[in-house]
Amino acid sequence: MTFAIDARGLEKVYKGNVAALAGVDLDVKAGDIFALLGPNGAGKTTLMRILTTQFKPTSGEAHIFDLDVVRDGAEVRKVIGYVPQETSVWSDINGYENLLIYAKIYGLPSRSRKDVIHDMLESMGLRAPAEHLVKTYSGGMVRKLEIACAMLIRPKILFLDEPTLGLDPAARIAVWEKLVSFKEEFGTTVFFSTHYMDEANAYSDEVAIINTGRMVTSGTADELKHSLRGELIKFSLSDHRVDEHTLGRIRGLEPVKSVVVTDSTLNVTVEDAETALPCVMDALRSEGIPVERITTTKPTLEDVFLWYAGTTRAPGAASSIGRVEGKAGGTRRE
Amino acid sequence: MNDSLRVVLAMIELELRRLRNDRTEVFTRAVQPVLWLVVFGTVFSQLHAIPTSGIPYVDYITPGVMLQSVLFVAVLYGLTLVWERDTGILKKLLVAPAPRYATVIGRSMSSGVRAIIQVVIIIPVALLLGVSFIPNPAYFVAALAILFVISGGFAALSIIVASLLKTRERFMGIGQALILPLFFASNALYPIASMPRAIQIVAVFNPLTYAVDAVRGLMITGNLALLPLDVAVIALFDILMFAVASLSFRKIIE
Repeated sequence: MTFAIDARGLEKVYKGNVAALAGVDLDVKAGDIFALLGPNGAGKTTLMRILTTQFKPTSGEAHIFDLDVVRDGAEVRKVIGYVPQETSVWSDINGYENLLIYAKIYGLPSRSRKDVIHDMLESMGLRAPAEHLVKTYSGGMVRKLEIACAMLIRPKILFLDEPTLGLDPAARIAVWEKLVSFKEEFGTTVFFSTHYMDEANAYSDEVAIINTGRMVTSGTADELKHSLRGELIKFSLSDHRVDEHTLGRIRGLEPVKSVVVTDSTLNVTVEDAETALPCVMDALRSEGIPVERITTTKPTLEDVFLWYAGTTRAPGAASSIGRVEGKAGGTRRE
Repeated sequence: MNDSLRVVLAMIELELRRLRNDRTEVFTRAVQPVLWLVVFGTVFSQLHAIPTSGIPYVDYITPGVMLQSVLFVAVLYGLTLVWERDTGILKKLLVAPAPRYATVIGRSMSSGVRAIIQVVIIIPVALLLGVSFIPNPAYFVAALAILFVISGGFAALSIIVASLLKTRERFMGIGQALILPLFFASNALYPIASMPRAIQIVAVFNPLTYAVDAVRGLMITGNLALLPLDVAVIALFDILMFAVASLSFRKIIE
């Protein structure tokens, strides 16, 4: 298996002893779309800037397709594309000129330069505005142009720092369609950071969460959601009290992880709500407890994020029990 | 080496393309040198206070004013890197498959594009004031080349300063503090011989002095006795500035 990114023990201490990264390990498979999540100041941008050879880690090492980011920086830069968070195109020239200048800086052979640029404009849907000054572009168009510039050299891996920040939903979808098409067409690995959980959920093959300079968890979006605390079934019981015997019985059911009663609501945490629901219902019915209403809540990636990286309690988690389970999940990984 | 040249040329081309779309700056920046020639130059030539070995005073200071303009443009241009720190362009250039020093030299040399435009604006004003240039195209092109090259050195100097500052707030003051001493402690407005001893020493170490001498020789006096020395000093200055700027560039990005 080739790893697009392979990092071990990355640390970065800025001047004034500010530790931005405190020992980061990371494996990204070639051809994957990899989402890096984390609160502001968690170290996402620092990690990305080290991986793109902008500065050196204080300690630890990282490889991009087996090239060392410190020792083989020049070689690394030949296989990566990078779209920083901030605008990285010149606004006082037009879209075509931006691509032309970057093509020249990147050293694209002059024979194929025009064709590559035109293909890129076409595929990014920027053909029509190519002759317009970039300062007249919308946010989505600027981002697309930046991605086009980064893709000129057909990089093996594309780094994007919050690629859809500030874009409207339609522009976000358009950007992601392109990124997914690069992955499918050229096998481009895509490594991106974001605050949009829905994007990580929908487009990434794998997700990692970084907090205070450490990786707190990683896996597929589904794995992370399952790692959190199973799913929650809420039974609204019309003014009925649940006695200890019934509670004991439900707790004893095989798929049930925990049970909490609040007022007239019975909160049951299970691994999988669809399969657990019938047997919990059976138990309630045989105890003669009428159920008024049932709601099931599946944890979202947002819950996962808040759990691992936020100070807020996971929303919908069954009070303290869910928290203990989540913590256990967290420590298990370490 | 090829890689570096490619990057430098791409950046010069970029500057030409940018200029095509925004010409206002060219004219606003031309106000200052035009005032030096039209007001300062004409007033002082009435006074006959400065020994210029026979040439009219406006003729004498025309190369000086050109270089002051070049210096001004180049220093501010280099300092704008502080601005670009906050945009993604600098980051993206650092990640481009091109040597880092080529980025620094490219950025520095492209200031020359703007500097030459300033000079081109000054020339008709000087002609209107009756300045007589040496009608030799080869000399003229050589003078422009010198202006272009020294501009790169000054832009690199200001990149060095920018890498020490890192904030926009300190930006303008430092720009002036860099430009004015270099300008006044040179032979741009008066011959070195007429300066106090202390300033003479500064002028001798001031690269602007050599550029003024070269351009004055090529455009006005035809006295090229010191041209080889001038060219050598300017080349040395550029190489030194490029080297230090490439090293200090790291500070800007972290």
